[in-house]
Amino acid sequence: MERRKFIQGMFAASAVAATIVPSALVAKEETKAKVPKGKNALSYEEAVKAITGGKAVADSQKVSLTVPEIAENGAVVPVKVKVESAMTEAEHVKAIHVLSTKNGNARCADVMLTPMNGKGYFATRIKLGGTQDVVALVEMSDGSFLRAAKPVKVTIGGCG
Amino acid sequence: MAEARKSMIKIKPKKFKVGDIVKVDFIVIHPMDTGLKKDKKTGEVKPEHYIDNVTFSLDGKPFTTMKIWETVSTNPYFSVNLKVAGKGKITVDYTDNTGEKNSKSKKLKPKG
Repeated sequence: MERRKFIQGMFAASAVAATIVPSALVAKEETKAKVPKGKNALSYEEAVKAITGGKAVADSQKVSLTVPEIAENGAVVPVKVKVESAMTEAEHVKAIHVLSTKNGNARCADVMLTPMNGKGYFATRIKLGGTQDVVALVEMSDGSFLRAAKPVKVTIGGCG
Repeated sequence: MAEARKSMIKIKPKKFKVGDIVKVDFIVIHPMDTGLKKDKKTGEVKPEHYIDNVTFSLDGKPFTTMKIWETVSTNPYFSVNLKVAGKGKITVDYTDNTGEKNSKSKKLKPKG
């Protein structure tokens, strides 16, 4: 009798486990969707809106963006931005924003320049979570926005 | 918190004159944790720890200010240009999201 009871108990326990497991899986999936986004998570569209305030952005030849075509390591991707400008009080590069299109936090760096810089230039190294575009958004002193974008192929992501 | 971080300012090229445009490179040893990665030894998620503000100034007058997020690589490197107007002192101040403050400075000595 004891053995029979034991086996029945086993079945009951497994049935209970079977009902619990799917809900646990669902919960895990939900957290999985949330995890890759940190506290500063902001999508690319929202970031652009926050920077430009809804103003028009024009693709421009004046902005040259240098990134590798293929990045073997997404944790270190060198980015170089050059902007053609006279850099005088009347006409200079006000800010260079470096953004990525698919990272949890699209923003990488906002650089505010002054005429003292002499040239519109900024270089740094950023992390990329996967294959995506790197975007340089440039604000000129007259309030216009210029843009340059280039795709980067990432073989190992660097944001996890 | 007051522990000084290893950092370096490099001016390129080494020899320059008044009126030249030089490159000012700044490198600092910093983990730049995103708040997503796990520690390999303990298995716990490392909290966010990244530099958020960097200011380049010449004789106390800022010429470039940056707002930085955790998407910048570990041991960050920033490079900007500067038009040399004479002798001076370049200072780079940086703060991170834990409130840690540090600065590094280097003299600017144009020749000729």
